[in-house]
Amino acid sequence: MSPDGTYSIAELAALADVTPRTVRYYVAQGLLAAPTGAGPGARYDEAHLRRLRLIRRLQAEHQPLAEIRRRLESLTEDEIEAIVDRPPEPPTDSALDYLDQILGAGRAVREPSVLFAIAAPLPAAASGQQVGRIALPTRPASPVADRSQWDRIELDPDVELHVRRPLSRPQHKKVERLIELARQILEEDPS
Amino acid sequence: MTISVRQDRELVRATYRSHRYVLATVTAPTVERTGSRPSVNLAFVIDRSGSMAGAKLPLAKAAVEQAIGRLDADDRFAVVTYDNEVDVVLTSTSASAEAASAARHALATIEPRGSTDLGEGWLTGCRQVALGQRGEGVDRCLVLSDGLANMGITDRDELARHAAELRDRGVSTTTFGIGDDFDERLMQLIAEQGGGNFYYIEDARQIPDFITSEVGEALDVVARGVAIEVAGPPHLDVDALGIMPIDRRGDRTVIRLPDLVSGQELSLVIRLTFPYGQEGDAIAAAFSVSDRTGVLDPTVTTLSWRYGSSAENDAQPRDRTVDRAVATAFAARARREAVELQRQGDYAGAERAIRGVAKRIRAYAGSDAQLREQVRVLEDERVVYAAPMPMASLKQAHFLSTNALRSRDATGRSRRQPPA
Repeated sequence: MSPDGTYSIAELAALADVTPRTVRYYVAQGLLAAPTGAGPGARYDEAHLRRLRLIRRLQAEHQPLAEIRRRLESLTEDEIEAIVDRPPEPPTDSALDYLDQILGAGRAVREPSVLFAIAAPLPAAASGQQVGRIALPTRPASPVADRSQWDRIELDPDVELHVRRPLSRPQHKKVERLIELARQILEEDPS
Repeated sequence: MTISVRQDRELVRATYRSHRYVLATVTAPTVERTGSRPSVNLAFVIDRSGSMAGAKLPLAKAAVEQAIGRLDADDRFAVVTYDNEVDVVLTSTSASAEAASAARHALATIEPRGSTDLGEGWLTGCRQVALGQRGEGVDRCLVLSDGLANMGITDRDELARHAAELRDRGVSTTTFGIGDDFDERLMQLIAEQGGGNFYYIEDARQIPDFITSEVGEALDVVARGVAIEVAGPPHLDVDALGIMPIDRRGDRTVIRLPDLVSGQELSLVIRLTFPYGQEGDAIAAAFSVSDRTGVLDPTVTTLSWRYGSSAENDAQPRDRTVDRAVATAFAARARREAVELQRQGDYAGAERAIRGVAKRIRAYAGSDAQLREQVRVLEDERVVYAAPMPMASLKQAHFLSTNALRSRDATGRSRRQPPA
C-alpha cells in the first residue's frame, strides 16, 4: 500500500491471490469498479480489495459467476465490508435436514432401497405373486422413480413382461430376444 | 506447547509491500489408548459400476469387512453401494458382532454392474452417517470409486459445495480413487471441502492397506474443529499457502485445519504481506491454535518484524528451514496447476508453471543444497510437463502435491511424532 492507502494492480492482485489479468477481467465484466487513473498509474483502494476477496470467497464456495454477480449487485459497500469481516454463521439445520433436502429435490420416491437393516425385517419379495406375469429376476425397486422406469410389454392378452429402463445395450438385446422367444412360446398351439 | 512458529526473515522494507513467511507447526498430543476412545460413526460407500469388476470389488469388500472388524459396539457403521442406482446395503447400525456378521452377508451380495452415480451414492452414505450422528466423535463417510461421476449430480462445484455444507454440519468425507479412470480433481475436491482425506490407490492390491489406515486414523482422532488464528495490526495481510479454508474477521485471520490424530504434526506456511512503515518501527503478529475438543494448548506466540533500510534487508540472514517449506509449498501449488493445464491440453502452460516456480526458488536458493536440489528436480520435470503425460503420472503428481500442501506423507497418511 502506498502512503495514500491505495494499491497498484500488482499489489491488489497479490493480496487477493489472483493475477492482474483476473483483476482487469473483473473490471471489464463490471464486477469491480474501474480504478482511479489509467494505465500504469491506475490505483485501487480497500473497497476494491474487499470486493475482490468476496468474489474469491464466493468462488471458493463454488458459486457460479452469474450468482456472484447477482450477489454483488444487491450489496452496498457497507454490507460487503460487514460480510468480509464477519465470521461465517454456523448452519442452523442439521446434516440430516440438509441431506433430505438435496436428496429429496425433484424426485417422487426418495428412500433408496434398503437391502439389509438390523432389527428390521428384510423387504419381502414382491414379484412372482401375481398370476400371468413374467417377472425377470430383479433387485428391489428403483430408488429413483424419475430416473428409471418400468415398461409393461404385453406378450399375450394374459401375460405381461415388466422391464425397467434404461437398459444397457447388451441387456436390451437380451430382452428383445426374450420377448421374441416368449411370444413364440405363447403362440404355440396347445398340444 | 502445541503451536510453534518460525519466521524466514526479521526485517521488512519500509517503502515496499514485503512478503514474509512463517512456518507454523501444530502438534497434537500423543494419547495412549487405554480402553475408551471417542466413538466413530462411519458409512462405507462402494462403487459397484462395471469397471469395478475383477480384483477391485472383491478387495474393496474384503477391506470394508476387515475395517468393520476393528470397530467396537460403541461405534456405528453403514454400507452403501451404487452404480446408476443406490442401495443402502446395511443401514447405520451399532458395530456389534451381530452387525458385523450381517455386514459380511450384505457385502457378499454386491456385484459389479451399471454406470456411476457417485454423487447420490456418496450423499446417501452421508445420510446414513447423519442418521447415527451424535456429534461427539468422528462422523465420516468413506467413498471408494474407480470411475467418474457420469450420472445424477455430476457438477464438480455443486458436489464440492455439498461437501463443505456437510462438513459444517459435522459430517466429513474421505475419498479413495482407484486406478486410472477416476476424476482425481473431483475426488480430491470432495475430500478437501469435506474435511476428510483423499487417497490415490494406483494398484487395487493396496485397497485394504489404505482403508485400514484411514479407519485407524478415524479411531485415533484426538482434536476436532482445529483452527490456527493469526492476529495482527490493520493492513497486515495474512494468507496460508496450503489448501485449508481461511476466514478473515477484521484483523484476525482464521485458518481451519482438518481433524488431528494422536501425535500428528501438521505444518503449514503462512504468508504475511506488510504495509509500508517507518524505518526502525516494529510490527508484530500473534499466533495461536484452538480446537473444539479442548486438548490443544491455546497459548499465544508472538513474532515481530522491524522495518529496515534496503541495504539491511538485502543483508539479513534467512531461516533455511522456513525457506525450504516455502519452496515445497510453492512447488506443490505449481504442480497442481500444471496437472490442471495438462488436463486441458495446455502443455506449454504446464511447462511454464513449473519453469516459473523453479526460477523463483533459484532466486533465493543461494548455496543451500536442499533448495538447489528442489530447483534441479523441477528443471527435470519441465521436460515431462511439456508433453502429454500418462493418466497415472498426472494422478500421482496431483496426489503428491496435495499431500505436501496438507502436510501429509507421500502415501497420504498423517505425519506423526516418532514415539518417545
